[in-house]
Amino acid sequence: MKVVTGVIGNDIHVVANRLMDLSLNARGYEVFNLGVNTYLEEFFDAAVETGADILLISSLNGEAEGWAREVKLLKAEYKSIDKLIMMIGGNLTVGSGNAEDIVPRYQNYGFNLVCHQVDLNTGLDMLEAYVDEHRPGERGKGELGNVEHNTREQVPS
Amino acid sequence: MSNMNEKLLIDIGSTYFKVSTDNSIEQHFRDFNKQILDDLTHKCGDTLQRYDSKNVHICSSANGGLSTLIIGVTHSFSLKYASNIAYNAGINVIDSIIFQDIEDYSIPSDLIDVVIIVGGINSNGGVFDERLTSYLAKLNYSSVVYVGNQPDGALVAERVEQLVVLPNIIDDRLHIVEEHLKDFLTNLYQQDIEGKEDIKHLYQITDNQIYSTPYVVTKSLPLIHGSFPVTDPFILLDIGGATTDVHYSKDLVNDNIVTEQGFDRLVFKKLGVYKSRQSLIFTAENNEFSYELLMHLKVTENIYQEHSEKATKVLMQLAIFLVLCKMSHYRPAYVTLRLLTVNSIVFTGGITKVLTTEDIEDIVAFFYRKILNSDHKPVTVLDSGYNIWTLGAKEHAVCL
Repeated sequence: MKVVTGVIGNDIHVVANRLMDLSLNARGYEVFNLGVNTYLEEFFDAAVETGADILLISSLNGEAEGWAREVKLLKAEYKSIDKLIMMIGGNLTVGSGNAEDIVPRYQNYGFNLVCHQVDLNTGLDMLEAYVDEHRPGERGKGELGNVEHNTREQVPS
Repeated sequence: MSNMNEKLLIDIGSTYFKVSTDNSIEQHFRDFNKQILDDLTHKCGDTLQRYDSKNVHICSSANGGLSTLIIGVTHSFSLKYASNIAYNAGINVIDSIIFQDIEDYSIPSDLIDVVIIVGGINSNGGVFDERLTSYLAKLNYSSVVYVGNQPDGALVAERVEQLVVLPNIIDDRLHIVEEHLKDFLTNLYQQDIEGKEDIKHLYQITDNQIYSTPYVVTKSLPLIHGSFPVTDPFILLDIGGATTDVHYSKDLVNDNIVTEQGFDRLVFKKLGVYKSRQSLIFTAENNEFSYELLMHLKVTENIYQEHSEKATKVLMQLAIFLVLCKMSHYRPAYVTLRLLTVNSIVFTGGITKVLTTEDIEDIVAFFYRKILNSDHKPVTVLDSGYNIWTLGAKEHAVCL
């Protein structure tokens, strides 16, 4: 399966992004990594260009919510990504917050899977379970091997 | 005859032509009732006679360049990449179409020189369908090139006559692949220039290939620091009679395009002070700051109707302001440059013959104050001797 991933907005946590890339790759996904400082339009555009199955957005600085609010509105402008599985993970709030409040809020923004302060492997296990449930038999499709797209300067976090 | 190695450089613009020798540079307003060659011979006959045809190098932007319409699937990748390649090849993008909404777009009535179709990485077929061929069937174009995903290329080729299929400009890492489309467009532009009746005659005075002026200017950009007090990052504005060319350092763009060259080019086809005068005025009338700028220059909107030296000067000042607006967040066009980080603005073209450095600095300061709320003051560099063009032309002539 094809996954477009990257860090949203003004977030430059490149190490987390790299780990995400490696982990997805190890699990057999075809990864299109847009890197850090990525805007919502670019995520959707990359999904269209690649024919991605999954969009996995990460955020560590907690500012994802400002961008996530526009997900439904923006996604509605695209006619070919209805089936795109939308996932977001990382630290999804500024300051303190608990998953009970945060997860439904992001789900309401249009995400199928929300992982607030969940470790990477657990989050990717959740993704696999979701894919198996909603797209049975599709996991494992696509080429093995990492395909990276790091066009911006990467600043170590 | 001149020294054997001395070169005569000629640039044919839409309004003026320039002739440069090792010692001097002449500029003449074109006589539109005459063939270019006749006009050139009449005004610079003595100079032309001194040079052997193998030492004469000519470039031209007189035909305004080719026009293209791009059909792509996203703004961030396919359309952006194709536009970037087209502009850098000297082609003017007249419209961009997102394929999913292709049925909502009106059909341009003008003849389009080349249609570019792009979209999808090679492992993502099925991006295009019969809506593409229906649209193309209604379109009036000279050539069409496909640079999208491989599987769709074969299908589109079956249905579209004379479709040129080139390798995808988006690789499997979502990176841009420039060379094939750039070469194709550059050659197309070259063929167009050579095919123009007016230009064909110029081969009577030169043995060398006639190039497009943007191509020559692009050659000079990496060498500019040796001749001008320019600090990076800089933009170069060539405001001419028909079009305005902008060359800018890539550092000024937050972009997802990684290419080897350090500069990009874009062109505003209908922004000029002579042939495109009416369109410039139209753009000015639709900019709410123009009125304030006219007040600042102590003139009224009546200046638009005048045909005087003063009117030309004001129009040129307006052109600077409007171009800067188009490259800022205020009126975003193809790119938005980080204008607050610009250290130098270089001006070349006919504008340098009319405006002084002070005139230009006044407008630049007005722009930064009004649009960007800043006192930022990039250094204005005036290329009044057309040194940028001769730099590129000489560089090119030496390489040949």
